Amino acid sequence: MIHNSDMTLEVQGLSVSIHTRKGTTKPVNDVSLRIPKGKIIGIVGESGCGKSMTARACMGLLKPPVKIESGRILLAGRDLVGLPESDMCAVRGSEISMIFQEPMTGLNPVMKVGRQVDEAVRVHRHIPASKARQETIRMFEAVGIPEPEARYNSYPHELSGGLRQRVMIAMAMICRPALLIADEPTTALDVTVEAQILRLMKELNKAGTSILLISHNLGVIAQVCDYVYVMYAGQILEEAEVCALFDSPLHPYTRGLLESVNSLRREEPVLETIAGSVPDFLHLPQGCSFSPRCGQCLERCASGEPPLFEPEPGHKVRCHLYDKDTSRI
Amino acid sequence: MRQSFLRRLAESVVILIGVALLIFIMLRVVPGNPIEIMMGEHANQSTVDRMTAELGLDKPIYVQFFRYITGALRGDFGTSYSLGKPVSSLMRSAFGNTLKLSVSAAVFAWVIGILCGVLSAVRAGGPADHIFMGFSLMGVSMPVFMTAMVLQFFFGYYLHWLPISGSGSWRNFILPAIALGWNSAGAISRLTRSTLLDVLQEDYIETARAKGLTETTVVLFHALRNTMLPVVTMMAIQFSGMLSGAVITETVFSINGIGRLSVLAISGRDIPLLQGTVLFSTAVVILGNLISDSLYSVLDPRIRREA
Ligand SMILES: Nc1ncnc2c1ncn2[C@@H]1O[C@H](COP(=O)(O)OP(=O)(O)OP(=O)(O)O)[C@@H](O)[C@H]1O
Ligand SMILES: [Mg+2]
Repeated sequence: MIHNSDMTLEVQGLSVSIHTRKGTTKPVNDVSLRIPKGKIIGIVGESGCGKSMTARACMGLLKPPVKIESGRILLAGRDLVGLPESDMCAVRGSEISMIFQEPMTGLNPVMKVGRQVDEAVRVHRHIPASKARQETIRMFEAVGIPEPEARYNSYPHELSGGLRQRVMIAMAMICRPALLIADEPTTALDVTVEAQILRLMKELNKAGTSILLISHNLGVIAQVCDYVYVMYAGQILEEAEVCALFDSPLHPYTRGLLESVNSLRREEPVLETIAGSVPDFLHLPQGCSFSPRCGQCLERCASGEPPLFEPEPGHKVRCHLYDKDTSRI
Repeated sequence: MRQSFLRRLAESVVILIGVALLIFIMLRVVPGNPIEIMMGEHANQSTVDRMTAELGLDKPIYVQFFRYITGALRGDFGTSYSLGKPVSSLMRSAFGNTLKLSVSAAVFAWVIGILCGVLSAVRAGGPADHIFMGFSLMGVSMPVFMTAMVLQFFFGYYLHWLPISGSGSWRNFILPAIALGWNSAGAISRLTRSTLLDVLQEDYIETARAKGLTETTVVLFHALRNTMLPVVTMMAIQFSGMLSGAVITETVFSINGIGRLSVLAISGRDIPLLQGTVLFSTAVVILGNLISDSLYSVLDPRIRREA
C-alpha cells in the first residue's frame, strides 16, 4: 500500500485479543483510523467499548494476556506492530505521547514533578540536566503553569488536578511528538478546568501536533475535534466530519447518544436513553453488536455483521439500513 | 517534622521508664530470694541479711527504683549476681558480638530479600518466581534452630568449610548470619514482591512507560522507591529485633551476645543483669521504630509535609 504522507498515524484493521481462562475476547475488532497531520481526531463511545485499548495498542503498551491479533499501525509510514521493545521505547514519548484519564494518580508521588518531566526529554535526547531543567520550565510556561520555577520542585500531591494534568501534558509534549493521544484527559476534572485544558490542547494542535482525543463526552468531542469515530463494543460504528456527525447522525446508536445529550440539555426528563446495556465481550450478539438494543433492527441484523457503508462521501456507517442494494432488505 | 520527631522522642523516654518500672516490680514479686540463690543453699541467715542490706534490697521498692534509675542514667546498672561483674561492661562486650551478628544477618537479608522479591515480581508466574518464593517460604517457615543445625552439620561438620561455633573471627559469623538472616530475607522478599506487583499496576507506572523509559528503568527508578516504603519499615523493625538479641541463634552457635546474656540472667535469677538486658532490648526496639518512622518520611514526601 502506498503511504499517504499527509497521515500522522494510520491504523488499519487493528484487532486486539485477550486470552483468559473463560475464553478469548476481542475488545478491539477490526478498527481502522486515520489521523491526518495537524488535525484533532475524536473517538467517542460508552465505557468499556475499547477506546483505551486502541490507544494503548498504538503506544505499544499492551501486556499479556492482551495482545495485538492483527492489523497495522503506521506511524509516518512505519509499521509499529511487531516492532522490538527497544525501538518502541524510542517511539514512545518522542514521536507519540499519551496522557491519561487520571491526573491524580498518573504522577509518581515520591518524585518532584519537574524531575518527572525532565526525564522525558533526557531519555530521548541526551542533554545535560541543567538544560533539561530549562526546557521543562519553558514547557511548564507553555502549558500555562503559574510560577514554573517554583512548581518544578513540587510534589504531585501539592498540585491541583488541573495543574497535574498540565504537568502531564508538559511531559507528553516536551519532545514535540507528531501525535498526542489524550485518553479522556478531562474526565476527572471540573467543567472550568476542562475548558482550560481543551483550549490548551487546541493551541498545541495549532502549533502542529496531531491529536487523538478519546472521550465518552460528546460535548468535548464537538468542541475540539475535526473528525469523529463512534466506537461500540470494539468496533467503529460510524465515522464522519464533526459537523456531519452532529447534524445528521446516521447510525441508530449515534442518534441515541445525541438524543440523550439533547434531552439532558433541554432539562427534560431523560426519555431518549438507549435501552439495554453494553454487551459483555464474552457474549457478543451474533450479527450487528448493537442489534439487541436497536429500535430499527432488521431481520438480517441479527445474523450478518454489517460492513462499513459510505452513504455520503466521507461519512461511513456500519449499519444494514444504509445498504444501497435494497433488494437484500 | 522536627516537632513530631521530638514528640516521638519524648514518648519513647516515657515508654522506656514505664518498662523499667514494670520489670523492676515483676522481678521483685516473683517468689524466690535472689540472695539465697546467689549464696547457695547453705548460707547462714546473718550473711543473707547482711548481703540484702548491702545491695539495698531491704529498702522500700520505690527507693530501690529511684536508685536504679539514677544509677542507670550514669551508666551504672549494678553488678551481676552470678558473674560478679558490672552489668554495663558485660552488656558492652556482649553487644559487640550481637552487633556483628545483626549487621551481617541484616545485610544478607536485605540484599537477598530485595533481589529475590524484585526478580520474582518482574517474572511473576515464571520459574524464577517459583524458585525464589520457595526459597523465601522455607526461610519464613523453618525454625531458626533447625536452619542453624542444618547449616552447622553441612558446612561445618561435613564440608569443614566454616567453624561450627564461637565468635573469635569473622568466619564464625557467616553461618549464624545466614541462619538468622534467611528468616527475614524470606519475609522481606515476600513483602517486596507483593508490594512491587501492586505498584506496577499504578497509573504512574504506565505514565513512566509512556515516556519511553525501558522496563528496567521503570522498575528501578519509579516502582522500587514506592515499593520500599513498607519494606523499609519491616527492615528496621527486624533489625532492631536482631540487635536486641537473637537468643536462639546466639545459643546454637555459642556467640556471647545480648541474647545469650539474657538467657544466662534468667536461668541464674540474676536480677540486675536481667533488668539491664531487658531495658536494653526495649530501648533498641523503640529506637528501631523511631528510625523506621523517620526513614518513611524521608522516602515519602506526602508524609514529610503533613507531619
Ligand atoms: N487486562 C485486561 N484483562 C481483561 N480484560 C480487560 C483488560 N483490560 C481491559 N479489559 C476489558 O477490555 C474492554 C475494553 O476496555 P477499555 O479500557 O479499552 O475501555 P474504554 O473504552 O477505555 O472504557 P472507559 O471509558 O471506561 O475508559 C473492557 O470491557 C475491559 O473490561
Ligand atoms: Mg478508557
